[in-house]
Amino acid sequence: MIANNIHIKLLGTISLGIGLVVILFLSSEKQLHQNNAFTRSYPPHPVIKLYDLDLGYNSYYIAGTDHNEIYLGNSTAPWHLLKVNISSKDTLHIELAPTNKQLRYRSLKVYVSPPFFFVMDGTMPFILRGKVGEWKARPWIEQTAYFNKALPLDSTKILIRTISSTTHQSTLGIIEHFKSPNLILDTSLLRQHIDGVFDVDGILIKNGYGPEVGYVFFYKNQFMIMDSHLKNVSRQRTIDTVEQAQIRVGNQNKKGQISMSAPPLTINKFACMAGRFVLIQSDRLGKNENKAMLDQASIIDVYNYKEGIYAFSFYLYHIAGHKPRAFEIIGNHMVALVGDQLSIYRTIEPFFENLNIIEH
Amino acid sequence: MNRLTKIQVWLPYTVSILCAIMFIYAATSKLWDFQQFEVQLGQSPILTTYAEWVAWSVPVTEYILALLLLTERFRLIALYGSLGLMTMFTTYIILVLNFSDYIPCSCGGVLEDMGWTEHIMFNIFFIVLSITAILLSTSGQPHQIQVS
Repeated sequence: MIANNIHIKLLGTISLGIGLVVILFLSSEKQLHQNNAFTRSYPPHPVIKLYDLDLGYNSYYIAGTDHNEIYLGNSTAPWHLLKVNISSKDTLHIELAPTNKQLRYRSLKVYVSPPFFFVMDGTMPFILRGKVGEWKARPWIEQTAYFNKALPLDSTKILIRTISSTTHQSTLGIIEHFKSPNLILDTSLLRQHIDGVFDVDGILIKNGYGPEVGYVFFYKNQFMIMDSHLKNVSRQRTIDTVEQAQIRVGNQNKKGQISMSAPPLTINKFACMAGRFVLIQSDRLGKNENKAMLDQASIIDVYNYKEGIYAFSFYLYHIAGHKPRAFEIIGNHMVALVGDQLSIYRTIEPFFENLNIIEH
Repeated sequence: MNRLTKIQVWLPYTVSILCAIMFIYAATSKLWDFQQFEVQLGQSPILTTYAEWVAWSVPVTEYILALLLLTERFRLIALYGSLGLMTMFTTYIILVLNFSDYIPCSCGGVLEDMGWTEHIMFNIFFIVLSITAILLSTSGQPHQIQVS
């Protein structure tokens, strides 16, 4: 009788412990994903998959496009470049070389914007430039500005994101180099409301088929479209409802580093821009969306920024459990990097315009 | 009978001291670098919204339990408490390992160097210990404990 009583007490204690944690877990899971305030529309087949190309490595990133071709840089082999022809599936391995053999660098990023290619390191900082085809990277800009993101816009202009030395906050800027390098920063663009670094973090994008550039915020439902002089700014909202970044930033630790003290609520994960569209990947669920879907596919929301409206959404399916990590529109194709594969899709009219026609 | 009684007395006592040492160590190492502990806990996929609150209450609970474990009068209650707390920790680890998008770590000191599997074994060992201690100290005539 007594023994029975103890067993009940023991079982009770254990179930209480398990129950409490499970309830905490479920409630925070729900808070993280579900948001019933917006609704997506999924029209049938705005993109159709053509094929997957095995790249052999998962360290590739998109390093520029040219007509029917895409250039892929490799973060573990920084001087290696892979050129893929979308229609013929031809691949070409390219070895880049700096003219300065003693070049010291920490983290390189390559970007191809024909007729030039750029090799950038924002921590040293330097930007090398060379001719496509020749593939020799010559010193071009040195010590003009440190930067943590950079995107070449044309032969002489680089869009950068840096930390302003006066405000100590993230700032967009342009490095232009005609005869000598010239830096223009606009500290008013990224409007901070928490710390000015984490809360305004995001992605630089540019329109491969027009003069606009853009900035998509990670942690709020906003993106900006500007011209290549950072003027004529249009601030637009995504369909999500999170207007202010929901992040928590810790105090400085003993080493003077600041870290986020909670996982941020990421609204927009990556994006690209083409023609009149901005495409944004988001894991946030709207009304009547099934969370299980996120295990199989990633949601892409398409916005028509010229008209300032949400257009539609579609799924980008995962490959062997790997989520897509970058994508780009090339003409009437969409390419996505998924694990060690390159997925090639065809964009279907009337959802997407044929960008090859618009370009000329 | 006499030998059994002896075990009934010293085992719960030893287990209590062991648990108390473990709790004091764990709580102290958390408070030692409290900011880091709080940040790590906040980054956990399970407790995000409750991080600040949990960050304080976990070491405090551990201290209180350690204190109660060392007090003759409250030992039994404290053993139940330890059992509950260790069950919660274990459940947490299992949930994090199996159901969350990424795996954080928020343990201090030596415990930090343990892998997740070792951690579960460690917890289960303490769970078994406290169950044994509870069973022993309550089985037979309950008044025996009070006598000793």
